[in-house]
Amino acid sequence: MNCKEVVGFRSVVKRAGRVVRSAAAIMVATATLATVLVSGDVQASSGVAIPPKQPWSFLGVFGQFDQAALKRGAQVAAQSCMACHSIKYIKFDQLRQLGFSELEVKALAEGAGRTKKDAMISSMDPVAAKESFGVVPPDLSLITKARKGYEDYVYGILTGYATESDMALANRVMADGQVTAEEAKEVASALLLDAHHPDKMAESLKRLIGGENFNRYFPGNFFAMPQPLMDGAVAYTDGTENSKVQLSRDVVTFLAWAAEPTQMERKALGIKVILYLVVLTIMLYAVKRRLWAKVH
Amino acid sequence: MSKIMEWVDERLPVTELLKSQATEYPTPKNLNYWWNFGSLALLVLIIMIATGLFLAMHYKADANQSFDVVEHIMRDVNFGWLLRYAHANGASFFFLVVYVHILRGMYYGSYRKPREILWWFGIIIFFMMMGTAFMGYVLPWGQMSYWGAAVITNLMSAIPVIGEELVIWIWGGFSVGDPTLNRFFALHFLLPLVIFGVVILHLWALHAVHSNNPDGIDVHDEKDTLPFHPYYTVKDLYGYGVFMIVFCVFVFYAPNFFLEPDNYIPANPMQTPAHIVPEWYFLPFYAILRSIDFLGSFSKLAGVLAMVGAIMILFILPFLDRSPVRSFRYRPLSRQLFWIFVVDCVVLGWVGYNPADAAIFNGALPLIVVGRTCTAIYFGYFFVLWAITAFDIEKHQPVPKSI
Repeated sequence: MNCKEVVGFRSVVKRAGRVVRSAAAIMVATATLATVLVSGDVQASSGVAIPPKQPWSFLGVFGQFDQAALKRGAQVAAQSCMACHSIKYIKFDQLRQLGFSELEVKALAEGAGRTKKDAMISSMDPVAAKESFGVVPPDLSLITKARKGYEDYVYGILTGYATESDMALANRVMADGQVTAEEAKEVASALLLDAHHPDKMAESLKRLIGGENFNRYFPGNFFAMPQPLMDGAVAYTDGTENSKVQLSRDVVTFLAWAAEPTQMERKALGIKVILYLVVLTIMLYAVKRRLWAKVH
Repeated sequence: MSKIMEWVDERLPVTELLKSQATEYPTPKNLNYWWNFGSLALLVLIIMIATGLFLAMHYKADANQSFDVVEHIMRDVNFGWLLRYAHANGASFFFLVVYVHILRGMYYGSYRKPREILWWFGIIIFFMMMGTAFMGYVLPWGQMSYWGAAVITNLMSAIPVIGEELVIWIWGGFSVGDPTLNRFFALHFLLPLVIFGVVILHLWALHAVHSNNPDGIDVHDEKDTLPFHPYYTVKDLYGYGVFMIVFCVFVFYAPNFFLEPDNYIPANPMQTPAHIVPEWYFLPFYAILRSIDFLGSFSKLAGVLAMVGAIMILFILPFLDRSPVRSFRYRPLSRQLFWIFVVDCVVLGWVGYNPADAAIFNGALPLIVVGRTCTAIYFGYFFVLWAITAFDIEKHQPVPKSI
């Protein structure tokens, strides 16, 4: 090893040391920050229950839509949701992309009071809707992209209403007109309410018993929409069980498609583009190495 | 071919320009990968202008139509989704790349003599980028577009005497509305071209004084330089490849990662969103704005001044730093300050993301206190850097004579 090489080696070691040290510093800083951010648990004005994640088949790089679920979901949307909500960026005709025949599309459209060339606009008059519900029901075309929690949130809303056992619990707890600390824990785990505020909880239970629309995943818990889907609300033709959970899962799948009908095209193109870029980049790196090998 | 070039060169010395400014342009041989981010910024600017041009062909600025038109681009225009997602994510990546580029300049002392004008052009570009990005975010006319525009334009009302009138003039009415959307579209189309012009000035200034380098020393020996082509062309191209892979992962597989869900709700002047947040790249400055809340009726004006000052202070950075050494590689104290500054900016961003009345550690520590502290540290960086260099407190390490 000649003198020059030793010097070169030393500077490489020194440089490597520097890189390792700065990398370590960045990692320590990031880790500290992450710990503070995660453990710190930022408290906003009100605690909101986060809907649990669902195993959607269409998410992820290789995720695909379940075609049967898409068709069932379109049926739920047309026969149930569209009583109040529009899906204005989708035309009935477009549903043929999901595997419906022309006749089936025609039947779905006519069932909703439209023709197959129309957009999926609800036949409910917005003014009348405002009178009976206090708000115009939001358009559902983008609903899975327009809420924090995305698909999981919409599914959470559809399945998050108070059940009969929840009602029984509310009646039992409120029989004496107040919420004890023991009861607060029970209610908190069943209805996902904040156990630290028994007064607020009692208020919510009163409204629930009074017949207001309670939903455990809606920020603030009470809103204008009565429970839209019940067991058996829509009659499936493919033999799938039409439970509330299944209807919700199917209609959310359909709404996720409706929010971005080009998403599968996007994902399919992405793989090709990225593979091409990876090969190109590896080659560019090889050329770079080779050219720079001469430089000292 | 050579005959044609000869004919051209006699009239316009194209070959000579390419030779002296591109192919044979001498570049320090020790530039590390942090130096790739300048050319990356140019790549993103070109992506933004190209995708933006095609988006503009389909877009309509109209308070009643813009939201629908964006969805029309997403659904009906061939590859419209690609144009829009590339453009929307491009904005985030533009700031990411430019923030690294600025911090690289701060770490290696690239703002020091004789590169002050080069540095100033850079800050002007950064400032115009912020304006362009802000106005571009308004164009889809979603809830965040509308309310973001309302909050930020309202800040102008803090200007004494003319503030209130000025805001009405900017709005073109008594609230954010159709006239605002139209002028923002016009300006959003114009500003990138102005940015492109200043980028040319930035490059001119760069080529006049040449690149700084990680050692922060002047290059005297020709042996310390390499011709830009092929050495840095290939290195920049390799950087482009790596960047495009990361960029495409977001465009194709997480295109809404940087977007707020609320912006998929059409703008509604009657309904304020629960929590108005700017895009991530504005968050540190937004946190500085909100952290000045203790001056009573002067808070708003002081907050705006602090926010603008946080960028303006970069203009005088070349004169605050008095060290005889440029690169922080040989300045142990400055180096530590620098990393405190970087972490401080991230924490400011996080404070800006959370609601103003939030608190951590079971409510024991209000975020506003964290925000104020971090704002003090932000400006403190510039003061302490000046102090340790002006009074020779920092003992620098030996600097190599040549690369």
